[in-house]
Amino acid sequence: MHKLFAKQLSKVSDATGAVDIARLGQLVSDAYEEFDRDRRRTDRSMSLMIEELDGVQRNLERTVAERTKELQAREAELQAQNLRIDAALSNMSQGLVMYDADARLVLCNQRFITMYRLKAEDVRPGISLRDIIRLRADNGTFAGNPDHYADDLVARIKAGHATHHFAELDDGRTIAIARQRMPGGGWVATHEDVTERRQAEMKIAHMARHDALTDLPNRVLLRERLSEALAHVEHGQRLAVLYLDLDQFKNVNDTLGHPTGDELLRVVAGRLRACLGDTDTISRVGGDEFCIIQTDIRDATDAEKLARRLAEAVQAPYDLHGHLVMIDASIGIALAPNDGTDVNELLKNADMALYGAKADGRGVYRFFEPKMDARMKARRVLELALRRAFENNEFELYYQPVLNLDTNEVRCCEALLRWRHPERGMVPPAEFIPVAEDIGLIVALGEWVIRQACADAAQWPGEVCVAVNLSPTQLLAKSLLPAVLNALASSRLSPSRLELEITEAVLLQNSDVTLRTLHQLRSLGIRISMDDFGTGYSSLSYLRSFPFDKIKIDRCFISGLGASSESDAIVQAVAGLADSLSMTTTAEGVETREQLDQVRKLGCTDVQGFYYSPPVPAAELNRLLAGQGEVKIAAA
Amino acid sequence: MRTQRIVWNSRTGWSSPTEETGDISLVLYFGTREPLSCGTRYEELRGLFPHAHIMGCSTGGQIDGDDVSDDEIVAVAVSFDATRLKLCREDIADPQRSRACGETLAQALKADDLAGVFVLSDGLNVNGSELVAGFSKVLGDDIPLTGGLAGDGARFSETLVSADCAPRARTVAALGFYGPAVRVGHGSAGGWDQFGPRRQVTRSVGNILFELDGEPALDLYERYLGPEESKGLPSSALLFPIQVYDLENPDSAVVRTVLSVDRGARSMTFAGDIPQGWTAQLMRGNLDRLAAGAADAARQARNGVRAGPSEQRLSILVSCIGRRLLMGQRAIEEVEAAGAELGADTIRLGFYSYGEISPHAKSGQCELHNQTMTVTTLAEVA
Repeated sequence: MHKLFAKQLSKVSDATGAVDIARLGQLVSDAYEEFDRDRRRTDRSMSLMIEELDGVQRNLERTVAERTKELQAREAELQAQNLRIDAALSNMSQGLVMYDADARLVLCNQRFITMYRLKAEDVRPGISLRDIIRLRADNGTFAGNPDHYADDLVARIKAGHATHHFAELDDGRTIAIARQRMPGGGWVATHEDVTERRQAEMKIAHMARHDALTDLPNRVLLRERLSEALAHVEHGQRLAVLYLDLDQFKNVNDTLGHPTGDELLRVVAGRLRACLGDTDTISRVGGDEFCIIQTDIRDATDAEKLARRLAEAVQAPYDLHGHLVMIDASIGIALAPNDGTDVNELLKNADMALYGAKADGRGVYRFFEPKMDARMKARRVLELALRRAFENNEFELYYQPVLNLDTNEVRCCEALLRWRHPERGMVPPAEFIPVAEDIGLIVALGEWVIRQACADAAQWPGEVCVAVNLSPTQLLAKSLLPAVLNALASSRLSPSRLELEITEAVLLQNSDVTLRTLHQLRSLGIRISMDDFGTGYSSLSYLRSFPFDKIKIDRCFISGLGASSESDAIVQAVAGLADSLSMTTTAEGVETREQLDQVRKLGCTDVQGFYYSPPVPAAELNRLLAGQGEVKIAAA
Repeated sequence: MRTQRIVWNSRTGWSSPTEETGDISLVLYFGTREPLSCGTRYEELRGLFPHAHIMGCSTGGQIDGDDVSDDEIVAVAVSFDATRLKLCREDIADPQRSRACGETLAQALKADDLAGVFVLSDGLNVNGSELVAGFSKVLGDDIPLTGGLAGDGARFSETLVSADCAPRARTVAALGFYGPAVRVGHGSAGGWDQFGPRRQVTRSVGNILFELDGEPALDLYERYLGPEESKGLPSSALLFPIQVYDLENPDSAVVRTVLSVDRGARSMTFAGDIPQGWTAQLMRGNLDRLAAGAADAARQARNGVRAGPSEQRLSILVSCIGRRLLMGQRAIEEVEAAGAELGADTIRLGFYSYGEISPHAKSGQCELHNQTMTVTTLAEVA
């Protein structure tokens, strides 16, 4: 019997066992209804639940579909992005490589692979840094211990140092490597081939310290080397600084052109360099100026030997594109520690020594002497004074009369330049004339002389001429002819009363131009004389080149008269030669009666000298000419 | 400890006590509202046991041994050898005061040798979870707190509680057991199955549920109950209890029963809190599993009492009205199942309530449960 029914039965039975059927029926019926309700409820619940779950599922599906679409779109975008990144990576000029926190490769670009001659299949993501370095060691693009390098690099990255260094490969390439740590422990490195850039940088650095034409060190590098070398001098060593200047270089440039001049410099540089030792330095410090540092010398003789070797090297002939060129060198030498222990001091003193060498005639070497400084200073003082002198009218003209032996009268007076310095008094012409030439004052000074001489001569009685000396520089000046014309015009002196005296030196250079000028002057009626005849190289040939009016025989021949028979013979010969060429002859430097008689006997036409009169100021000359009193008349 | 069963029915009145009544110190009695409401039954019991604490409440049916009945009042008279008792009572005018009420009662009972507390509370005007929380706050989790909410059949109109007084509404009574001799065992189990989709509590306030997944909760219930059974709301809602839990803390799962519905607001009031944002799932009952649940609860309670085999035990079964509604006449199955587990050496009585109070089987924290069979077993050791 069903448990429930038993319970129901007991509920409806009384103590006697009688059953209340009606009540039992009710209970049973109720139970059936409860079952039905329960069943219906269950069915209903199930259907509703299925429906709900269905709905939930559909929602889920829709959501999944949407999400999938989103994901696909995102994936497509990611792909496109990846392609772009790939393109960027492949095309960048640097090699790029990325490692994770365990020093394993994450990615690298093609440039990196080719840069180190690796193969794409060898360099897969996941490969360790160590292995990549080993591959590079195998193919020669890495030198050193791969393990040490890898360990060290990883340690440095860990310590947080971004690294920046250059790697020099065996094949001469230079790679600039920059590494940057990434958050998370890995790092990115860029490798850039900077070979060209480095070379350019090195070249620029080189050019900053070297002369472009000769590739010799320049002044900057010279000073650096000298400074270094002087440091050793403190420990007892000695060195020499030689300043070398090429004589006549300007001529070569002017006559043969700059390309040839450059070529000459290059050859000179090579020759000079060959004379030096390993520890010496040669630099080009000026247009035609070189400076040599000679280290490791014992004394001045070592420097002297070098100077001689250098000079010889320069003096040897040059064949420049078929042109035969010869030049010379002037060398100034300063020694350390004697002549200085400071860069500037040494260079200055070597320069002064060079100046001294040039002043002494070029083609020589000179050691620095302390006096040079003084001399230099004196020279500068003189230069200044000269310029001032011109402005302050400190110049005067003295005149020395030239006596004609036939008439016993003054035929002509030579104008001589004098300088009355306010403090020093009379400054010897031998001292200031060369300086005037050097500082370019000679032309202006010369023109003043001509003007003044003409003006003075215009005061003289009769047909007395005035003779003015012309230097080569003056003859080359374009302003000479106008100056002469002006002088004649303003003084109203007749051109025939003006004589111009020139030496052989005048005709040495640019003779065409000079000759043309001389002819022009002569065509005006001015007379031209050759001064210091016999002292030059080819006095005779010059007589051929120009119709001189007068020859002045140099005093050295006159002073030898009577003492040596050669002088007599020469003087006689010259007098005869001049006569046959319709030239007058003046004997210079006649100081004694005997000389006077001799020159008359030998056939000279005129005499000049202390015997008659020294050079005198214009005022005194006027008196002299007026009186003709003090002129001694020779006995026949 | 000694126990005697006595019953009352309208024809024969109270059955006579068979033994000594002099040292009876506790009488528990349960009956439906009608016979209780006049207060006469209390007076009668008071006359029979002048020195005892008399405690009881109205129900949704009585459990008497293996039987379930509506007409009779069942009671047990207990005499303790070494256990002191204290019975307190509080009026509660407003469910908002539920926590304070619990705290007050707990304070009154608190003592160093308090060994257990049994609570009977008004079933309609009290927030059961809050009430229990108030007790727990003062007593902590070590003192076993068991009991139930009084019922009113399927009417849900008024519930009564009696504590040394005539039964009345809006009252909470708490009985404390003191001394080293008493042993209290407890067990609680459900046996309902979850079914259907998980839903989210999208709007709720305290124990009033407004919306699930944005839909009025009442709409959902009416759909599942169908037109016929919807008419029987709120009691028919007991057929589909709701389980709520915090997703972050699955062990927090509790089952809640409907107490009332508001057709205008489309809301449903439950016997305990339905926290907003928690996950909710409908449950349905299966007879066999419910019975198994009852057996489970009984086993837990029995195992919780370490007493000698010769000692008498008292087992108070508080089962949920929802279970009775579902099982109908077959509710006896769960009572028999519990009885089988509890054994012959205990007297068994209880009632169908609007809510059960017991420590949570897993967490041990005392809580208000719904749709459960809750068993409290008492014994004394020498």
